[in-house]
Amino acid sequence: MAKPIVTSRNSRSPIAAHPIASAAIAVLVIAAIFFALYVPLYASATPKAGDFPFFYFYLLAYMPVLAIVLWIVIMLQRRLQTGQEAGARRPSGRAR
Amino acid sequence: MSDVNVTTFTIVVILFVIVTGVGFAAVRWRRAEDMLHLNEWGLGGRGFGTFVTWFMLGGDVYTAYTYIAVPALVFGSGSIGFFAVSYTIMVYPIIIIFLPRLWSVSRVHNYITPSDFIRGRYGSRGLSLASAFTGIIALMPYIALQLVGIQAVLTVMGVGTTSNNTFIKDLPLFIAFLVLAVFTYVSGLRAPAAISFIKDTLVYVMVIVAVFYIPTRLGGWGHIFGTAEAHFTSINPATKKPYGTFVPTSGVTGSTQLDFATLALGSAIALFLYPHTITGTLAAKRRYVVRRNTALLPIYSILLGLIALLGYMAITDKTTAAEVKKAGNAQLAVPYLFQHMFSPWFAGVAFAAIIIGALVPAAIMAIAAANLFTRNIFTEFFKPDASPRLQTKVSQWASFVVKIGALYFAVELPHTFAINLQLLGGVWILQLGPMLIGGLFTRWFDRYALLLGWLAGMAFGTIAAYKSASPTVSHWASSSDIEFGHTVYIGLSALIINLVIAVILTVIFRAAKVPQGADETLPHQYTADPADLPAPTPVGIGLGAAEAGTAGAGTAGDLSRGRPAPLPDGVHAPGPLPDGVHAPAPSGAGAKNIDGRHMTIGHLGNGLPSCVEGIASLQ
Repeated sequence: MAKPIVTSRNSRSPIAAHPIASAAIAVLVIAAIFFALYVPLYASATPKAGDFPFFYFYLLAYMPVLAIVLWIVIMLQRRLQTGQEAGARRPSGRAR
Repeated sequence: MSDVNVTTFTIVVILFVIVTGVGFAAVRWRRAEDMLHLNEWGLGGRGFGTFVTWFMLGGDVYTAYTYIAVPALVFGSGSIGFFAVSYTIMVYPIIIIFLPRLWSVSRVHNYITPSDFIRGRYGSRGLSLASAFTGIIALMPYIALQLVGIQAVLTVMGVGTTSNNTFIKDLPLFIAFLVLAVFTYVSGLRAPAAISFIKDTLVYVMVIVAVFYIPTRLGGWGHIFGTAEAHFTSINPATKKPYGTFVPTSGVTGSTQLDFATLALGSAIALFLYPHTITGTLAAKRRYVVRRNTALLPIYSILLGLIALLGYMAITDKTTAAEVKKAGNAQLAVPYLFQHMFSPWFAGVAFAAIIIGALVPAAIMAIAAANLFTRNIFTEFFKPDASPRLQTKVSQWASFVVKIGALYFAVELPHTFAINLQLLGGVWILQLGPMLIGGLFTRWFDRYALLLGWLAGMAFGTIAAYKSASPTVSHWASSSDIEFGHTVYIGLSALIINLVIAVILTVIFRAAKVPQGADETLPHQYTADPADLPAPTPVGIGLGAAEAGTAGAGTAGDLSRGRPAPLPDGVHAPGPLPDGVHAPAPSGAGAKNIDGRHMTIGHLGNGLPSCVEGIASLQ
């Protein structure tokens, strides 16, 4: 479900102006979903990280990584938007 | 009962009183010019910034049920309970795709509920009604489950009596709920938003202390995982199968990797289809607040992973495990664990965290359900000319009625019934996916095709859930069933059926030139970021073409609440205006900021079915 959505988002004009940033957003979002969705990747008790079996360690460690990845996505999205708004419409200073 | 610990009880009462005070005082927070407007009562003024939104969505998404049911599922069945962790991972990359679009279009058109959007997008009252109906029936058992969570805590505290009279037995629950109902009535969404600060703080403290302190009492994490692994790989004499799984298996049936993945994906898609999470989102001040929170909320999810591990701690602590087994109710695992591990005063803090953690989402859910009723049933079908003031009054009373209904559920019906309904709620709400998420990206779908797809998904999901059986229960045993030889989440199968039917019928209906409803939205409105509130729409949701003529230049000044004003830009203006045009707003013109973040994790409900199994396996 994610793929077509991302693509359609990316097909809009401001995105065409920033193909690399747009592609990076798509890749990051799809990867963030994939590495949680593809369970065989981490459904294993070994190797252990300290006392934590791999399965549990992986899921716990995922969260902070996810926060960073999504933050990068937001930064990239802002670039797309700023580029777009800089053109004509930029009513007032957008959010910090 | 006799064994109430006075210290624990006192702490809980003190914290509850504080929360009550905050709930009532919240009406003054970012005081509205006119509280009797749904933008104010139902969406907290639509001005929450990043910070408040983070707290509120965190408080909204992570319910008492999270603290009770997820560890209970882990306690009863092992690794499958961790689907909840995987799902709270996937939910954020998924919502970053569609939630900002929903916020933007809702802001431009002053939509208060998701069904308002569906009405405006497809020009279909039927589809709007279907979605409002789905939302309400999915929320009712969800609220009831908040109460079940509170009851679990009260039971372990020994509060309440063994009297056979329901009213006397559950008196503390009644009091808690009555207080909740009254401050929600008075303060609207501001109450849960303000209380969520207290809630989140308490929950953080509780979890951090629990994960650092309890393992030292239980011989360390190595021992906890070792005990859990030994337990779940041993054979249950009653069923001749292992008690659970320590990691998802690679088989085709049972607690498999596929089951885990489909549960997590389905739940992740469903979470932000729930009306209460959307209510929290729409209360945000700006688009960037919504986006930013998708990256900030995973911080909150770390908690969930740690909370899930409490289930393994409960297995490791022999006293707790024995008591839970004796009570035959896995929901008591966490409360018992806290009671045995913590000193009485800290147990009080932890119990208060869970109780308050139930009240915040319950309040938001009641508001969301009430808004759906008011906007998409009452105003739409019975009183199209309802003023904002009347709508708010109706919503206030509806929230009251919804809560009474949930209370009835919780105390009168068997808990398994509420849990089953909650399981179904997750399956049902997922059926809004094609019309809501699909509608945010394309207008290709035909409204009748969507309605029939929805109907098929609802029917399939309900029947499949009813038919699912386990060795101990003949119906409603699980949220997963076997399709083509593989165990998968029912909600996701139903969603696929829904989507396939919607696509096929759309192709047919389009070929047959079936008339399409009017779409009042414009492409640029899905990315708009207006700083000010849209004008309150005078007539329900009816942004009919009739009003188009009156649409003058809506200036920012008109956007202050309560005043009937011309429609905001672009709605029917000739020619697409660039977004944000209507907002050359003198900043501060009536718009207050409130940060609105809210997500409720309500969704943990999907785990419920498995909880049932977990409970069953205890017996």
